[in-house]
Amino acid sequence: MTAAYSTTDVMAVALARELRDGEVVVMGAVPALPLLACRLARSLHAPSLQYVVGGSGTVNPQLPVLTTQSCDPRLTGGPCALPLPEVVMLEGRGDVFDVFCAGGLQIDARGNCNLVCVGDRDRPELRGPGSVGLPFLTAVQRVVAHSLSHTPRTFVERVHFVSGSGERTALVVTPLACLDKDPETSRLRLASVHPGVSVADVQAQTGFELVVPPAVPETPPPTDAELAELRRLDPTGVLAA
Amino acid sequence: MAKRLPVEEAIAQLVPAGAVVAVGGMHATAAPMALVRELVRQEVRISRLVPSPSSSLQVDLLIGAGLVEELVCSYVGFEDLGLAPCFRRAAESGTVDVLECDEGGLTHALYAGAAGLPFVALPPGIGQTDIPRASPLLYREVADPFTGHVGWAVRALRPDVALIACSEADEEGNVAFGRMPFTDRLLALAARRLVVQVEQVVATDRIAAHEPGTTLPAFLVSAVVVAPGGCRPTASPGWYERDEDELRAYVQAAATDEGLAELLAQIRGRREVTTGVVAG
Repeated sequence: MTAAYSTTDVMAVALARELRDGEVVVMGAVPALPLLACRLARSLHAPSLQYVVGGSGTVNPQLPVLTTQSCDPRLTGGPCALPLPEVVMLEGRGDVFDVFCAGGLQIDARGNCNLVCVGDRDRPELRGPGSVGLPFLTAVQRVVAHSLSHTPRTFVERVHFVSGSGERTALVVTPLACLDKDPETSRLRLASVHPGVSVADVQAQTGFELVVPPAVPETPPPTDAELAELRRLDPTGVLAA
Repeated sequence: MAKRLPVEEAIAQLVPAGAVVAVGGMHATAAPMALVRELVRQEVRISRLVPSPSSSLQVDLLIGAGLVEELVCSYVGFEDLGLAPCFRRAAESGTVDVLECDEGGLTHALYAGAAGLPFVALPPGIGQTDIPRASPLLYREVADPFTGHVGWAVRALRPDVALIACSEADEEGNVAFGRMPFTDRLLALAARRLVVQVEQVVATDRIAAHEPGTTLPAFLVSAVVVAPGGCRPTASPGWYERDEDELRAYVQAAATDEGLAELLAQIRGRREVTTGVVAG
């Protein structure tokens, strides 16, 4: 029997399963979910995965509790850290990092991400924080994005500002579903729906027409082993909060 | 120490009205808040603010105080605590000019400023975003003189003065960072003058015990302000963590004009503690 799990557990597990042994991952601001996914992947199926946490530049930090901050001073516990300018240099090379964990105020049908604005940039309805590292989305092999909200406002036909290109977007994990890229059209495709969610639910909450295959599987729920490891890595429930 | 100044004098002497000002600190860590609050008290107008690639309270407060004409913006926000309220309001109402940029462009622009390069040709990728075309003041197309390939370049940034927070300084003005220097060293190297806020003053052999690459020599430092706890409510690596409650309270209060006015009045009604203990 499988223990109780939450939507964020399903998301963390979906992200972790996408990461492969030996890969090098880089992530940006608000790192809780990708950080947890990397640690989960490392302990379950990708023991030599390495990950760099945001502006701190720390590599494989080991923390007693999960953090929501990319520059948390407690992140100094890893075996090494790169000064941020060196992370930027290596991102530019394009052959060091395999996976970029991204997100956005808006994600569009082609997987482009926007952290700048909703509406016109000169007089936006909503001003976002800014693009930070998203231009480096084309400097990795695969972009694995996530969004904590799946609404027609977040998932739009065309982002209002391209902070990062969707060219390499491989997977988008949301509270409702996993989306991947349809190789024919280069548009986002419904890869799986989370337990309890229907295909119609996902399409209704998406502001563009998803590519929907004839049969859409359910996202496999977290296994007991995955859940036990999630609870060990996030003992205080930071992710759920 | 000739370079040690009270915060009032450091700001008055080194940050003239209308200057291009760089301000350090990444996310909720190592923001030089004692220096920033003094800018608010003295109402120092900033023609262009150049923060580190991910800024938060230090930038939001200066915008909220109405001091910033133009912002070089890679990221201003409070991560898990929400969007930056004053930046958001100013950008949405058009009262601050936002020069759109990104972490890579800003870092290379500071490197160029530090090294005396007029510009840096950027790696590919930026051209697939809307950033360079939105900010022609910072990004221009350039042909590689060796291959003819056309890409994008970023112009050097050379701030008039940088304000950063470090861990400690000695009597001569040599300074040492905590374990997380972020891009603050680049800000320091690119600026014409440098004001450093530190937690404490120590003997030179304590500065010498830090690893190479985590210190800055006194000849680059214009003034040292001793401000114990001066990064609060942001974190100071090795000293204290961020004050999450106070940052949350700020994000909430600064979201309204009345709340912001009250916050600014509180800052103006207080003085910074800049008479730190001198450790052995």
